[in-house]
Amino acid sequence: MPRELPNRSGDGSSLVTSAPPSNDPNRVIASLARDQVNLDLKTVDLCFLAGLYLRADKAALASFEEDVLIDMFEQVCDVVEPGAENPRKRATHAIQRLREQRMLARVDGAGIVRAGDYALTTLAAAVVQYFLTDEALTRESLTLLTGTLSAQLAEVLAAAKKATDTETWKSKVSGPLRVTVSELVSGIERRQRGLDAQQEEVQAEIAKLLQSDWFSAVDRCQLLLDTTTSTLNELNEILLRDTHLFVALLLEIQGLATAAENREAEETVQRVIEHVDRIAAWGSARQQAWSEYYQYVHRYLRDVVRLDPDRALSQRLRDQAAAWPTSPFFLLVAHAPSIRLLRALEARVERPPVARPRTEREADPEWVEPENVHADIEALVAQAIDGGASTLAEVSSRVLPKLPEALHYAAAGRVADAVGRLARVHGEHERPWAPVLSRLEVEDWTVDGRDMP
Amino acid sequence: MSATTFHTLEEALGDEHYPEVDLALRRGRHIGRDDGTMYEYLVDAQALLEAFYRRFGCELIQQSDGYFYLLPSGDRLGRRQLSAGEMLVGQTLALLYLDPATLQHGGIVGREALLQRLSALLGTDVLVRTLDPRRARRGKYDERIAAEAVRTKVGDALRRLAELGFVDVLDDTRLRLRPALMRFAEPVRGLGDRSAALERLVRVGEVVLDDGEQASEDDASLDEEPAP
Repeated sequence: MPRELPNRSGDGSSLVTSAPPSNDPNRVIASLARDQVNLDLKTVDLCFLAGLYLRADKAALASFEEDVLIDMFEQVCDVVEPGAENPRKRATHAIQRLREQRMLARVDGAGIVRAGDYALTTLAAAVVQYFLTDEALTRESLTLLTGTLSAQLAEVLAAAKKATDTETWKSKVSGPLRVTVSELVSGIERRQRGLDAQQEEVQAEIAKLLQSDWFSAVDRCQLLLDTTTSTLNELNEILLRDTHLFVALLLEIQGLATAAENREAEETVQRVIEHVDRIAAWGSARQQAWSEYYQYVHRYLRDVVRLDPDRALSQRLRDQAAAWPTSPFFLLVAHAPSIRLLRALEARVERPPVARPRTEREADPEWVEPENVHADIEALVAQAIDGGASTLAEVSSRVLPKLPEALHYAAAGRVADAVGRLARVHGEHERPWAPVLSRLEVEDWTVDGRDMP
Repeated sequence: MSATTFHTLEEALGDEHYPEVDLALRRGRHIGRDDGTMYEYLVDAQALLEAFYRRFGCELIQQSDGYFYLLPSGDRLGRRQLSAGEMLVGQTLALLYLDPATLQHGGIVGREALLQRLSALLGTDVLVRTLDPRRARRGKYDERIAAEAVRTKVGDALRRLAELGFVDVLDDTRLRLRPALMRFAEPVRGLGDRSAALERLVRVGEVVLDDGEQASEDDASLDEEPAP
């Protein structure tokens, strides 16, 4: 049986996924990469999710029985891919696909005992909301939001004036600022993004109108331009007026927090001030950008469309450009060369020759000890064999300590070579490893005394 | 500013904008509304500067599309004709300027869109033959290398057109089209015969038909040094 949705707020904010616990971008990205998170939603999947979302919204359902899901998928399939075969099987696959992508969750816990109940996850709700939401900033919504925000800030200011202990600061000032005020400011920002999207649509609409109707579309384009311009002007006026008020209230709260030495409240106020500054900056930036666009389109309508009502110029220019290689002409432009700047006269500077002090640089050679480790190794090996060493390991152990430690590894091979040449050696088929000093091992041989030359 | 800002030539030449505007005009730049105070200065000083520049053997032209430029009519000031690359790119940009689709982005187009339009308009072979005739004269050419050469030539042409004020290069991929591009459409603006329009433009010194002066495609600046 369908169940009631618990605690649904009107704006759907309870369905929005909360921010991940860590805000460190590196950690978040690493964690997403590690989990190989990805989304692959086809049109039919999105329509299916939207259908479920709207149905849940209308009937206040918290979950759906499996049959309801399949029924909804079949209805969606009829619209999106009419004539598709095996809709029931496709529904099973779609449900599985959406569960794997954490869009649908089974909520009954009955396992295989009976068919399950499913609910949309917050991720699915957020995705659907994105496509359904049509929130744009309007004069009414902005006035309402700024009015509520200003009342809220006045309350917080009153509480800050009365706050005497840390707990009161936290519950009556920092808390409301962090939650209620930030939510309201975010609400304005979200609607600003909605209005941005609307402006893009208007720009596309103007281009489309001219593309299809050219001269007949001039008045409609002008109307679209003027409507958006007046909306932006109105909104910007409200934003300019009200954001000054918000900042003044916030600065007063911040002053009280500073006086009370409450760092937490101070920082929270600062964050809200930055947020408010951002929404104020949006207003002027958008108005500037729109003003440039407005002027451009206005000039276009006046200089291009009105002067060429039959739209013949584009075609004639296209023909001219296509035929240009065979009948060329060249525009002339002014081309005054740059003024030549002669190099300033300067007296010739005598550069001193490169020299160094005279001195005797030839030094007499010095006597140094000869270095011939290889000859030394051979002599030391002969000495060790004569001294009675009976294995390669024993010879190496006698020879290597007399050489620098850095050469021990390389010298071990040369010792083996010298032993092989100077003495009769025998090795077993599987030669045992024997330790030499503390850090080396060699495959051992038996040494039977020196070969007589 | 109003039209009565400057009463005498001395006042006009004494204005802080004059040196910058004068140098830009003499280098062939087209100064339009997008240039802000430089354009406003020209509007204010137009009557005085027209007579002033006539003494140098050139005309200060103002077009209804909202831009000024200097057109040498004698030999006192150097002049140059645009190269084949600049002409082709200029005409294609003018087409894009007229296209309502460009409106959506406030007159900003991508280089890729320009290359696509050029290629659609003329075809690769004609483009290579026009922009890189030496390679085409050698007969068979490698398509990939020829395409790269065309892209380079288009890039060079864009750089020079930007210096002349036909277009603003915003970054590596985007261009802002300026009203001065309509100069490229001048021969076809009227409804009359194109040849007659061209003849008139040749007569007033706006265009030349003969590319005999075009010594080298690589050397776009066919300078005519001013007479001593």
